Amino acid sequence: MSSFYLKVIAANRMFYSGRCRSVIIPDMDGEKEILAHHEDLVIAMMDGEMRFQEENSTEWKHAVVGRGFAQIAHNRVTVLVETAESPEEIDIARAKEALERAEEQLRQKQSIQEYYHSSASLARAMTRLKVTSKYL
Amino acid sequence: MANAKEIQDRMKSVQDTLKITNAMYMISSSKLKKSKKALEATEPYFYTLQSTMSRILRHLPDIDDMYFKDTSKIKKEEKTIGYIVVTSDKGLAGAYNHNVLKQAEQHLNNCPNPKLFVLGELGRHYFEQRGINIDQQFHYTVQNPTLNRARNISETVLDLYLENELDEVYIVYTKMLNAIQTETEFLQLLPLKKADFAIPNLPSGLPVENMQFRPSAEVVMDQIVPDYVVGFVYGALVESYSSEQNSRMMAMEAATKSAKDMLHELGILYNRARQTAITQEITEVIAGAKSQKKKKH
Repeated sequence: MSSFYLKVIAANRMFYSGRCRSVIIPDMDGEKEILAHHEDLVIAMMDGEMRFQEENSTEWKHAVVGRGFAQIAHNRVTVLVETAESPEEIDIARAKEALERAEEQLRQKQSIQEYYHSSASLARAMTRLKVTSKYL
Repeated sequence: MANAKEIQDRMKSVQDTLKITNAMYMISSSKLKKSKKALEATEPYFYTLQSTMSRILRHLPDIDDMYFKDTSKIKKEEKTIGYIVVTSDKGLAGAYNHNVLKQAEQHLNNCPNPKLFVLGELGRHYFEQRGINIDQQFHYTVQNPTLNRARNISETVLDLYLENELDEVYIVYTKMLNAIQTETEFLQLLPLKKADFAIPNLPSGLPVENMQFRPSAEVVMDQIVPDYVVGFVYGALVESYSSEQNSRMMAMEAATKSAKDMLHELGILYNRARQTAITQEITEVIAGAKSQKKKKH
């Protein structure tokens, strides 16, 4: 099966680089799957769950990613995100704490900016917990 | 000449200071190593971000975006300019803070409406003492720069920029030129200049790639620019922190060296004083013995 080169770069490290058969990324209105020889494209990504299949396996690898974008050019896909974690790396206790904290803050009166902050951290914590409960 | 006891006391105090400067030297060098590693880890992210921005601009040269506005038409008296000044929390770092503050003040002098965002305790004190108004809500430390802090800083500035409260934003920080040299940098952060992203000498006759954007080029751009600013601020913070540690390392090395020189000189003085005391004692004993001898005869 034909493959393409995938690079996932998080702000603080190179998360993954290697050949892949398929990658599914969260975008603004759902999910998008990218296969080999996709047309050149730049996609704005939302935070959520990302999946990819390596060249010689049918097993899906999962990762929780933050906001960013994916760029496809000449059969190379570069995913640039704020954060990227595999399910094994996620600290469940910390994610739970963050979830509770965000829920508590959302119940209180906040400025618009604070509201955006709390709802973003709520979304992050929820994805982390969802992915860990599914695949661990 | 001071007596031996006094010199000894002085030597002891110099030795204690030497221990402190030496310890500070080691601490700074290990901190420097750590922050350099952090900077290296973010480099691929930042470079890819930059190249993607230049690619988008190449495809859409006439993109009309908030972040690329032209401010040269606004009159100087009506322009509000934000300055992010990165200093350190503590002194004892040679000319590090002085250089940054001097550079910042120079620009402040020919700007009628400045808005200051000062990072680091030392810079805050400096501007407060001079009665220059600084943003009081802007309280961030410069120790151990994190992406999260860089995100908060750029969010504050971007919000003000998007609400048209700031027309331009500059950043004053210190850059590492190489392992030994540092240099104060003064850069425009906002609005972005398209020219900064243009790739010079692009070979002509290259097949024009047809790049699409989802959902649209504007949305993609709006997603990328804040990240770019965050990356830039983070880079500046880490560079400054490294420079600070570097300057402190050099200052402490110089202090350790001069303390050692002082100890050497004091050692000579001490020996001389001790010798004088011994000589005097011997002279006294001999003189005493002589007078006793005279009595016997």
